[in-house]
Amino acid sequence: MGAATSDAGLAARCRGGDEAAWAELVERFSRYVYAICVQGFRLSPHDAEDAFQDVFAKAYVQLGTLRDDNALRPWLAQLTRRVCIDRIRSSARETPIEELEPDGVDDTLEILDEALAVREALARVGEPCGELLDRFFARDESYRTIGEQLGLPAGTIASRLSRCLEKLRREMEDSAPAVRPEDR
Amino acid sequence: MAAEDIERLGRLIAALPPAPAGWVAAAQELPRLRREFDALIARAEADEEFRSRLLGELESTLAEAGIEPTRRVVAEARDRLRSF
Repeated sequence: MGAATSDAGLAARCRGGDEAAWAELVERFSRYVYAICVQGFRLSPHDAEDAFQDVFAKAYVQLGTLRDDNALRPWLAQLTRRVCIDRIRSSARETPIEELEPDGVDDTLEILDEALAVREALARVGEPCGELLDRFFARDESYRTIGEQLGLPAGTIASRLSRCLEKLRREMEDSAPAVRPEDR
Repeated sequence: MAAEDIERLGRLIAALPPAPAGWVAAAQELPRLRREFDALIARAEADEEFRSRLLGELESTLAEAGIEPTRRVVAEARDRLRSF
């Protein structure tokens, strides 16, 4: 995790045929798309894989239709939503569209948007915190595995995690938009 | 830091586990795959013998061209070859 190009910059570079930018775009949004498929729409692993590949194949072809590059994330979310609905629809042809979305999908998407913002903050916090927190929380690795992988004494992992979480919390506070008196 | 803040941040980090590495790699390979497909289609258009082989032995011809014939790749190739 390092200093990142903005979503808008990344979209523009992809449209210009920059394959490294495409790889970065996939890397940046792969967890988000995956989570929408699996957590939001509860697709089976097989359907989730097909949906995941469909989303990026469509994104690659349709990126030129994105009207506002700053809207890359919601555009991808919407694309993923449509692909997942199509996938569910293909196995439930007679079901009305509004019944195809699982209950609570909007709430899940809201949480995933917030989770993506935390991930962006995590990238700004940098290493070793980014990898440490990712391994422990997102990859569900034990203190021992993390210690072995990162060459750290397992006994120090808990305190490092705590310091990193504090750093992350400060980063999120610092980057939160200031509330002006007239907004209150 | 308040315990609930820690818990919430942890939950939000955990909400985005990594997608399977193979899925990510396949999506990242899309531009290369499209380029190779384009070259293959162009060759098939120009070379009748190659076209017959491609249509008849799709998977092995893809493999010979350096394209791994996974289920998705074969499906996309069939789709692209529909015009022949």
